[in-house]
Amino acid sequence: MSHLFGHNGAENTGYSQPAGLDCASEPSVPKGLMRKQAAQWPRLSEPEMVRHYTWLSKRNFGIDTGFYPLGSCTMKHNPRVNEVIAQLPGIADIHPHQPEHHLQGLLSIYYEMQHMLEVCAGMDQVTLQPVAGAQGEFTAVRCIQEYFRMRGEDQRTKVIVPDSAHGTNPASAAMAGFEIVEIPSRADGRIDLDALAAVADETTAAMMITNPNTLGLFEADISAASDIVHKAGGQMYYDGANFNAILGITSPGLMGFDAVHFNLHKTFSQPHGGGGPGSGPIGVKAHLAPFLPGPLAARREPSAEERSMAVDEHWYHWHEPEHSIGKIQQWHGNAGAVIRCWAYYRRYGNGLTTMSEHAVLNANYLRHAIHREAKTAGVDHLFVDGAETDVAKHEFTLSMQPAKEAMGVSAMDVAKGLLDRGYMAPTVYFPLVVPECMMIEPTETESKDTLDTFAKHFVEVLKTDPETLHAAPVTTPVRRVDEVYAARNLCLRHPFDEA
Amino acid sequence: MVDQLPNRGRETEMLKEMGYKGMEDLFADIPADVRFKGDLPLRGPQSEEEIIRDARRLLGSNVAMGSRPSFLGAGLYRNYVPASVFQLVTRGEFLTAYTPYQPEVSQGMLQAMWEFQTLVSELVGLPIANLSLYDGSTAAAEALTCAVRVHNRKASQPNTVYVSALTPPDKLSVMHNYCQGAEIDIRMLSHNEDGTLDLQALEQAAGSCGVYLEQPNPLGVLDEGLTAVKEIVGEHTALIVGVQPISLGVVEAPGHYGADIVVGEGQPLGSPVTGGGPLYGIFACTKPYLRLMPGRIVGRSIDVDGKEAYCLTLSTREQHIRRHRATSNICTNETLIALMGAMHMALLGPDGLRELAQRNMRACQKAKEALSETPGVRLVHDASHFNEFVIEVEGSASACLTYLDDNGIIGGFDLARWYPDKTQHLLVTTTDQTSLADIEALCAQLAMWSKHQEVTA
Repeated sequence: MSHLFGHNGAENTGYSQPAGLDCASEPSVPKGLMRKQAAQWPRLSEPEMVRHYTWLSKRNFGIDTGFYPLGSCTMKHNPRVNEVIAQLPGIADIHPHQPEHHLQGLLSIYYEMQHMLEVCAGMDQVTLQPVAGAQGEFTAVRCIQEYFRMRGEDQRTKVIVPDSAHGTNPASAAMAGFEIVEIPSRADGRIDLDALAAVADETTAAMMITNPNTLGLFEADISAASDIVHKAGGQMYYDGANFNAILGITSPGLMGFDAVHFNLHKTFSQPHGGGGPGSGPIGVKAHLAPFLPGPLAARREPSAEERSMAVDEHWYHWHEPEHSIGKIQQWHGNAGAVIRCWAYYRRYGNGLTTMSEHAVLNANYLRHAIHREAKTAGVDHLFVDGAETDVAKHEFTLSMQPAKEAMGVSAMDVAKGLLDRGYMAPTVYFPLVVPECMMIEPTETESKDTLDTFAKHFVEVLKTDPETLHAAPVTTPVRRVDEVYAARNLCLRHPFDEA
Repeated sequence: MVDQLPNRGRETEMLKEMGYKGMEDLFADIPADVRFKGDLPLRGPQSEEEIIRDARRLLGSNVAMGSRPSFLGAGLYRNYVPASVFQLVTRGEFLTAYTPYQPEVSQGMLQAMWEFQTLVSELVGLPIANLSLYDGSTAAAEALTCAVRVHNRKASQPNTVYVSALTPPDKLSVMHNYCQGAEIDIRMLSHNEDGTLDLQALEQAAGSCGVYLEQPNPLGVLDEGLTAVKEIVGEHTALIVGVQPISLGVVEAPGHYGADIVVGEGQPLGSPVTGGGPLYGIFACTKPYLRLMPGRIVGRSIDVDGKEAYCLTLSTREQHIRRHRATSNICTNETLIALMGAMHMALLGPDGLRELAQRNMRACQKAKEALSETPGVRLVHDASHFNEFVIEVEGSASACLTYLDDNGIIGGFDLARWYPDKTQHLLVTTTDQTSLADIEALCAQLAMWSKHQEVTA
């Protein structure tokens, strides 16, 4: 083990700094505010620090390490040029409060990204302000809330979500002050229009739904669902977590949605960095646009003076929507993430359709290959599709319930067995509507060979004896971690007084 | 041609094996009436070389702060981030990982975040820290809602919080958006002429759910009065202090003068300004807030062999378990930027942090000394400052900034954007990156500006 707090070198072993500026009188902190005891930080030199974090990195699994079929997370390859671009001083070293003529390049990229997302989503106006998917959800439901307040429809206090929705949907709506109405999915995992019709009424502010849904199925009844909600006077909200399946094929706008958030860190490859950062722009139809948080990038004809500083034939400027809900983070969104995603978009351009086609091709192929290999090996009775369907979209679910019943092997056991074979495990136990669920999303950046090999290994895991699987993983840096112990013996920081 | 698709050219083979005739079969479940007609009306694909050329041209047209004397801060600070931080953080194992849902293969990031929690905890003087919120403003806003959840039952002013009237309007707006759903009333706390908190007016906040103040305050003033706040507001009112983390190398940790929650923009430690994001929000607290706090937390545990291991813990507060009853909707956070912060902190050590804070103090002091001798410039607050301070200039601050800009200097922040009646006030920011030459250039141009104003007057 390498422990950061095990390093207690001599004073000033760390990064050496240039001398400060000479002053006529020494700067001072008010007496009662002077720090009396320094933080107990470690003391280590650069070589030790580099080795510690390199050691840690080797105990971590990323897309670069191996196949990462984590459903709902769209773990596609992150092109490296995007990282190079994001470190250019023209993005790394700019301040959001600089005047517009200092930021024409940034503004033009913001404008291009807004426009691209508007086109792909079939929406009238996009804001790049929200910094994560959940924040996009929150922002959009706040816009919907203010829209209804302005119309005098204050009684619209409820938001409908299907029971298969991502947890962030109800959490975001509740944070904005809405009451949550959860509706059950049908046995086949799809939206229950009767259940929806039964709850949609004059108290409905919005319905939040993703399509393809969390089982990877396209909701063919989506237009009918939109009609039901709209007839009740509510708004349709599209959770863009699964956008990777449909770019250029259909759009939330075509399906009747009024608002949508994008997870740029999924669909447009902003690296997820072990939990963030992300970027969660939202797009809305014209009637919601005045409520968006600003600033938005806009453009006009340049003046004669501006023309010499312009990056193209337009002059770009910030714009505040008329009835904006205000800010949801202090600055201008995660600009660094937007830049990376712009670089990613440029790689595809109007070929984004191909990206989605390959995402769906790979998901269906992997589903096919797993069934094929299981049949050959005679273990196809150990799992079933999480939902019956001819085709899946960008992801699919399997239920390990038969394996559980036949030999006591759970979805978690299979997941841990996959870790031993050098894979990241699929998402397990979500969506909650599928028992012993494994949710698998290969993305478009995996080769056929990787998918074939994974299918073979998946089946090998199923053929493994239950005892071995219960004990898996054994090849990883640590074996199964005791989460109950962690919760019962809370140790949330280094215990300095421990022997 | 797009080079990100390994199965390009193998589509037919794969489709055939599945028994499909074409790609279209995979989309047969999408009704015709919701299908796009034709191609996406967007530009064509580009190669990496074309993309980087366009990126260099467009981003190169932005004015990088480092390309000229720059005194703009107001919440974001240009500090030097050591090269090793960038080298390490772009290792693919960190960069391309998702949230550590499978702890056995995520020990690296989990341990790094547990260490981050410890570093932050020690820095601010509180026992608990989470592994980041989006930024300083959302951390402050979530601290307010957290304070209400904890104190509402015993508060004599339920659903009420007080925040400094100096709080930048953009940050205040975030607070309003986060608080309105729970019907929390945000009231203002006034400040004295010298920039310090009005401790008498503070008495009205006693019995409310929480008080939000910053140290240094948004005008750069180090306010000793904050050490008296906890006693005034009482034990059932959360004292929330927003910090500039580097200042804590020389300034007392708020946890040591009664803060219950400490939040702040983590950016100065580990991250460039990056156009305002991604940043990371610091959130630390005492034990009574633990089970109602927002964000992910890593705990140290053991594996089945009893070996030291780390995992996410207390997840029952979070949206993926608790759904609409979660303490926050946050899912994706700013882990990678927090990791940069941890690396920077580790490299500095306690002595390095003190030295860095002192360098920031020196740059600020030098600028104050030089500006106090500059004709037409008045230092507004006779106080101890960290990073930034307010000056009054001749004529309008906005016009003055334009003048400085015309002369190649990013002169600061026009405070009329925060406080509309302060039309002659500039917030001047210095950091460890501010040089003597920068300060001299600013003073020379401000002297010129004052002269111009006299002539026009």
